Amino acid sequence: MNKSPKILVIDDDPDFRAAVTPILKSALYDVVMASNPQEAKEKIFAEKPDLILLDIMMDSLFDGFSLCHAIKTSAEYTDYKDTPIIFVSAVKEIAGSRFQFKGDEEGMVGPDDYIDKPVRPDDLLARIAKFLKK
Amino acid sequence: MAETPIILVIDDEEAMRDSCSLILVKEGFRAETAENGRVGLEKARELKPALALIDLKMPGLSGFEVLEKIKDIDSRIIPIVITGYATVESAVEAMKKGAYDFLPKPFTPDELRIIIRRALERRKLAMEAETLRREKKMMEENFITMVSHQLRSPLVAVQQYFEVILAGMVGSVEDAQKDMILRARERLESLLHLINDWLDMARISRGQIVDKLKPLALEKLLDKQVEFMKPLAQEFKVKLELRPMKKTAVVLGDEQSLEQVFSNLISNAIKYNKPEGSVIITLREEDGILVADVADTGIGISREHLPLVFDQFYRVSRREDQKIKGTGLGLAIAKKIVEAHNGSIQVASEPGQGSTFSVRLPKAEPEEK
Repeated sequence: MNKSPKILVIDDDPDFRAAVTPILKSALYDVVMASNPQEAKEKIFAEKPDLILLDIMMDSLFDGFSLCHAIKTSAEYTDYKDTPIIFVSAVKEIAGSRFQFKGDEEGMVGPDDYIDKPVRPDDLLARIAKFLKK
Repeated sequence: MAETPIILVIDDEEAMRDSCSLILVKEGFRAETAENGRVGLEKARELKPALALIDLKMPGLSGFEVLEKIKDIDSRIIPIVITGYATVESAVEAMKKGAYDFLPKPFTPDELRIIIRRALERRKLAMEAETLRREKKMMEENFITMVSHQLRSPLVAVQQYFEVILAGMVGSVEDAQKDMILRARERLESLLHLINDWLDMARISRGQIVDKLKPLALEKLLDKQVEFMKPLAQEFKVKLELRPMKKTAVVLGDEQSLEQVFSNLISNAIKYNKPEGSVIITLREEDGILVADVADTGIGISREHLPLVFDQFYRVSRREDQKIKGTGLGLAIAKKIVEAHNGSIQVASEPGQGSTFSVRLPKAEPEEK
């Protein structure tokens, strides 16, 4: 019997965490939370999530990028490097040009997908489902 | 970075090189020498000294030539000219060519020490000024990013709650509630839009754009914008067309902000148009200036309003336009961006028939370096 997929939401905004929970629960996912990179690390090891929603604008723009890069490339996170990561961002798409992944300039590995805030529930669930199907 | 400063002595006289080195080493500097201009420039390239003492009269490359070339190698190297043929003319010539100071031979060790100390002090100040300038710029950019984040964050949080409520995920929503929430969401969106526009205005200062200029193929940029705008054109039932230009049109520009300019002009042309109308974009060259025209068959702008359209917040307030959302800053921002590119933007219009917005940008010089 398959257990429900577990989603880890990493965001320092308590309102986002509160708003996104019913969305995820409506698709019968288990939800775990973290509000900073340190807590995120603890939760990743403890809960072994099937997918991660990561807000990139935590204390500094780079918190999200560095964490993503670490999960995908560092030895510490090697058991979790295949966990799909979706960046959630309050930075709006600028007409004609996609949000520039600043991390590219620094040689960082990016996420599997991006989604802008506020997230549309159906859009978010569709993207998550796409990754969990694999 | 407390490294020992390197001082390079370029002089064909061995005695001069040796005695200068002695004095410099005694002062705690690292002395390097070169017996002629060619070797001097090679060593400058390799060692990037803080100062260079340059003799004027040398066989081969003259001191003046070395002076000019050393600035190209590293503009931070402070050149000091030394010479046994000290004349007012040669001193003036040396200063014009960028020498920091002029020391006639023979000179005493004290005279050398004083000039060196002064030159190093000057170099230190110049480097500090550069660092401060860069820090200030970073702080300004960070400030704008911070303000942006702080203003947007709460609004985005509210919007997020609306999305979840409207999707029925925290209980069923009755029609009357839904209508109010939808209306509230609209007001939030326009507030967010306004904030974005004001932040754009704050961010677009000439200095910031000048730093990001690179050669751009304008016809490719326009092509990309037209593709992006096709769905909007379809929604408004307006034909959107880019007339091709025969050759490539390269400008020195910041891609992102120029995209913003044309995105604004094209979406205006679509929205302020008549059903079954058209938006035609052309690109031509006029005396080394590239002109991009965005022509629409819309409602046009009356003569009294024409000079005001680029003003901040100016929006034509006719009954039919009330439906078209916007902050009134789009054209003011476009004008600021274009002018920061050393260009200009104009509009010509015939009420009832349409308007043509023209963006003029100087052509990029072909690469010479």
